[in-house]
Amino acid sequence: MSAPVSSIREPLINGGKTYHQITEDICSPTEKTPSTAWVIAFIIAVAGLAFYVFCVAWTVWVGIGSWDLNRTIGWGWDITNFVWWVGIGHAGTLISAILLLFRQKWRTGVNRAAEAMTIFAVMCAGQFPLIHMGRLWLGFFIFPYPNTRGPLWVNFNSPLLWDVFAISTYFTVSLLFWYTGLVPDFATVRDRAKGVRRKIYNFLSFGWTGSAKHWQRWESLSLVLAGLATPLVLSVHTIVSFDFATSVIPGWHTTIFPPYFVAGAIFSGFAMVQTLMLMTRKVLKLEEYITLAHIESMNKVILATGTIVGVAYLTELFIAWYSGYIYEQYAFYNRVLGPYWWSYVGMMSCNVLSPQLFWSRKIRRSIWWTFLMSIFVNIGMWFERFVIIATTLARDYLPSSWSYYTPTWVEIGLFVGTLGLFFTLYLIFSRVAPTVAAAEIKSILKTSGDQYTGPNAEKHSHAEAH
Amino acid sequence: MNQFVLEAKHRTLLLTGVGIGVLCLVLTFLGDDELHTRFWSNYLHNTVFFLGIAFMAVFVQSAFITAWAGWYTSFKRVWEAASTFLVPALILMIPIIAGLWGHFHHLYHWADAESVANDPVLQGKSSFLNTSWYTFGTLIIVGTWIFFGYKLRSLSLQEDKMAQTADFKIHKQVRIWAAAFLPIAGFSSAAVIWQWVMSVDAHWYSTLFAWYTAVSWFVSLMALTILCLIFMKGKGYFESVTDEHMHDLGKYLFAFSIFWTYLWFSQFMLIWYANVGEETVYFQTRMEQYPVLFYGNLLLNFITPFFVLMRNDTKRKYGTLAFVSITVLIGHWWDFFQMIKPGVLHTAHEVMAHGHGAEGGHHAAGFLMGFTIPGLLEIGTFIGFLSGFILYFFSQLAKEPLHPTNDPYIEESLHHHV
Amino acid sequence: MNKENTEVLFGLYDDETDLLKAVKVAKDDHLDIMDVFTPFPVHGLDPLLGLSESRLHIAGFIYGAIGTLTAFLFMTWVFTRDWPIIFGGKPYFSAPAFIPITFELTVLFAAVGMVVTFYIICGLGPGVVNPSLDDRITDDKFCIAFDTSNADESVVEKLKSFFSSTGASEVNTKTI
Repeated sequence: MSAPVSSIREPLINGGKTYHQITEDICSPTEKTPSTAWVIAFIIAVAGLAFYVFCVAWTVWVGIGSWDLNRTIGWGWDITNFVWWVGIGHAGTLISAILLLFRQKWRTGVNRAAEAMTIFAVMCAGQFPLIHMGRLWLGFFIFPYPNTRGPLWVNFNSPLLWDVFAISTYFTVSLLFWYTGLVPDFATVRDRAKGVRRKIYNFLSFGWTGSAKHWQRWESLSLVLAGLATPLVLSVHTIVSFDFATSVIPGWHTTIFPPYFVAGAIFSGFAMVQTLMLMTRKVLKLEEYITLAHIESMNKVILATGTIVGVAYLTELFIAWYSGYIYEQYAFYNRVLGPYWWSYVGMMSCNVLSPQLFWSRKIRRSIWWTFLMSIFVNIGMWFERFVIIATTLARDYLPSSWSYYTPTWVEIGLFVGTLGLFFTLYLIFSRVAPTVAAAEIKSILKTSGDQYTGPNAEKHSHAEAH
Repeated sequence: MNQFVLEAKHRTLLLTGVGIGVLCLVLTFLGDDELHTRFWSNYLHNTVFFLGIAFMAVFVQSAFITAWAGWYTSFKRVWEAASTFLVPALILMIPIIAGLWGHFHHLYHWADAESVANDPVLQGKSSFLNTSWYTFGTLIIVGTWIFFGYKLRSLSLQEDKMAQTADFKIHKQVRIWAAAFLPIAGFSSAAVIWQWVMSVDAHWYSTLFAWYTAVSWFVSLMALTILCLIFMKGKGYFESVTDEHMHDLGKYLFAFSIFWTYLWFSQFMLIWYANVGEETVYFQTRMEQYPVLFYGNLLLNFITPFFVLMRNDTKRKYGTLAFVSITVLIGHWWDFFQMIKPGVLHTAHEVMAHGHGAEGGHHAAGFLMGFTIPGLLEIGTFIGFLSGFILYFFSQLAKEPLHPTNDPYIEESLHHHV
Repeated sequence: MNKENTEVLFGLYDDETDLLKAVKVAKDDHLDIMDVFTPFPVHGLDPLLGLSESRLHIAGFIYGAIGTLTAFLFMTWVFTRDWPIIFGGKPYFSAPAFIPITFELTVLFAAVGMVVTFYIICGLGPGVVNPSLDDRITDDKFCIAFDTSNADESVVEKLKSFFSSTGASEVNTKTI
């Protein structure tokens, strides 16, 4: 019943797989003892996590004075890291929702891991606004309940509160979406397991049977969730951009921020997906499911969003000049040539210039180039947030309070520590759950397996498809 | 039926439409104020609107080719033909350019030497907002669009005439042209939108404006595509375009209407929230003096498509789909109307007030036909431009077979199933 | 499926095309299929089985609408009735500033409501143990199951011949 597929398309599943081989390849990593590489990586990640806990404790014990923030620069690495992590947390939902609606089949190879990455990245992001309050135990102040602290309610007109709603909704919906996709795959793992593992996986799989009616509802649910997650994913980084753009600070208050933040988020998210997938496919031997075609497609997305971000940077610069508003003009002069010029250079070269290498097909399909570029983009997008936050704050309306900011070891430790948290969670995930959506891979096998499509497909497959 | 033939009665009807448009423009000109503000603003409004739709036809093809989309292949000739309207649209821009050199119109505040002489803000912008930039920017950029549109169309036609090769030589060439066009379109569309539309309010600026305007064009193109396909299917053409394709086009119309609203909200909310005088004046004017335009914009372009197209079945019924497409097409024409009219009227008042002092900056009070709401003459002009667009588009469509036999994705499109 | 001690006769197929053909034959012969189990969603199966379209999305719309109203009306009540405060010179009723939270709660209500509804109507959830006919159904086998608890010998024979004629690779019975 499957529709014909043009032979110009590259196959997305190599190795002439059968359904059973797919199950075998994808589920077996959860059944083996971990490799030495995994154990070493896990130890490093947990060490990072421990250091993170230490730095949080230090911040709470000593106070926020252990950071180098000052009256002029009230947001530094903390909010930079927050925005960076939220941005990374966009690719998963983008891949699973928007690409599902656009019917890009290559998403099936990477969506599971990308969604997991999304959830872990949002968890890392959520840490920073809380820690940055300094008094962590008062974090509950952000919840909207009637209280006796003065204004009685939280300020629903504040973008910072919108953030609370946006991030928590995004986290919840991503988690539900991800888990609903995992349920059938957990059932597959369950049915291969024995004893206690079988009980555990039965619990995780919610008693999934694979009944036709369940699948029908499951597909309907996935589609509607995708439809909901699509505007949601746009709204999240939009609201993060509102944190800045609703202000009257030159360099922050600009209308292009919402779509430009979203493009930047997709850009950095895909870069992080590349970083993780290149390692995962190697370690778990998933090269036949996450093929060069997948990598090339993601590199194209990186090129496209990198260029969109470039258009936005230049638009901002141009309109700053065009506005005729001297503060706006100065803010951008300062951004490019001020004391933080090096971060602007870092941002421009990593985000706009270096992705242009992906115009070359050879580089798009090179594992090493892709890996290198994905790291570049991750760095560049971190710089972008630093440029927006610290550079702008360092030179405000009042020259007498101009300032400069360098992070202390605690701030650096918090950032490095969240990387530890992130990788700890990701490494656990790669051990307990199928890292590729097995059921979805099976459902595209007949249209994207290399025995059915592409230059090496067996003859007659087309006729059979009718 | 693989060869489109424009029936004589339809040709007559469309020519009558063009005639109505010309007549309305003449009537507008005759009954106008001393600067012919209404005439020129109508002319600019319609020219830019339809030029942008033709540009979007090139852009959409490029985007779809780059994304390896297959489903639209069976009707891709529609977009190829629509893109050719860029040529007459560029010719239509020439009177506006000539008017800048010869000062027959006062559409742009920055083109008025006396205003610029007394205005430091306009002086600051004068190295971008000047007649030469406007002229050469328009010619070079639209010229580039025409070239890419021509290239995509001619390669696609050439592909049909050649025997299909296993290595998809032509399609691979098409991919290169399409990918190259995307960044070019991204930069160049912003540049001309600033010149043509945003600079009508010469003091005002918004970094989002170019993207917002571009999406307005995009939605208009989708609406026009749906209407055209419904009409042609009614005549027995495009049998291979099924409900499934219409459903997907309906989804595009729905999704991008929401995206347009998102951009509208982002721009409006940020300016409203920060309340910086230089920026707020734009929306303040529209909300206070042009309320029908301001709120009508949201009613036509968000509320209608959102509530009608939310259901799945309305995207598959030609009646509801046509209704929404017509509403949204008028809606985005309306959107451009509200982008252009208040600024032009302001400029006209400023220019007329030279030597009168206090009258400068006076805005519309109450309802002013042709400015605060579109009048009959505007509707007639719209019909004229629309008929001209469709006539040209149909005559181009009639030149080539409708079915792209050799496109590598044609089989996928013929068996497209949502 | 929740009935106690149901006797099930089921056949396993190796490929979804065989399954689809078999379901078509079963429908033509008016055989009463109890359920079909597959390792992944098979396209074209729902219309053959005569499954009506899921109405989950309608439930989603209702949950979403509840979310919209809850958020917008609540913020309006807080800022115009309960404790009006002027923020940044804006009016008490600042609709544009209410939109982001309204949107988020719409999505949250719709998504959570739908997911919970999905698991409840499917009878799935943490701790649920559903009997499995064959462990390979979640791997690579496509299964058609018939309820033969009260069926006489001739019906069972008819079903067995149906399985063998439609190319089932295995036929088994199981009491669940």
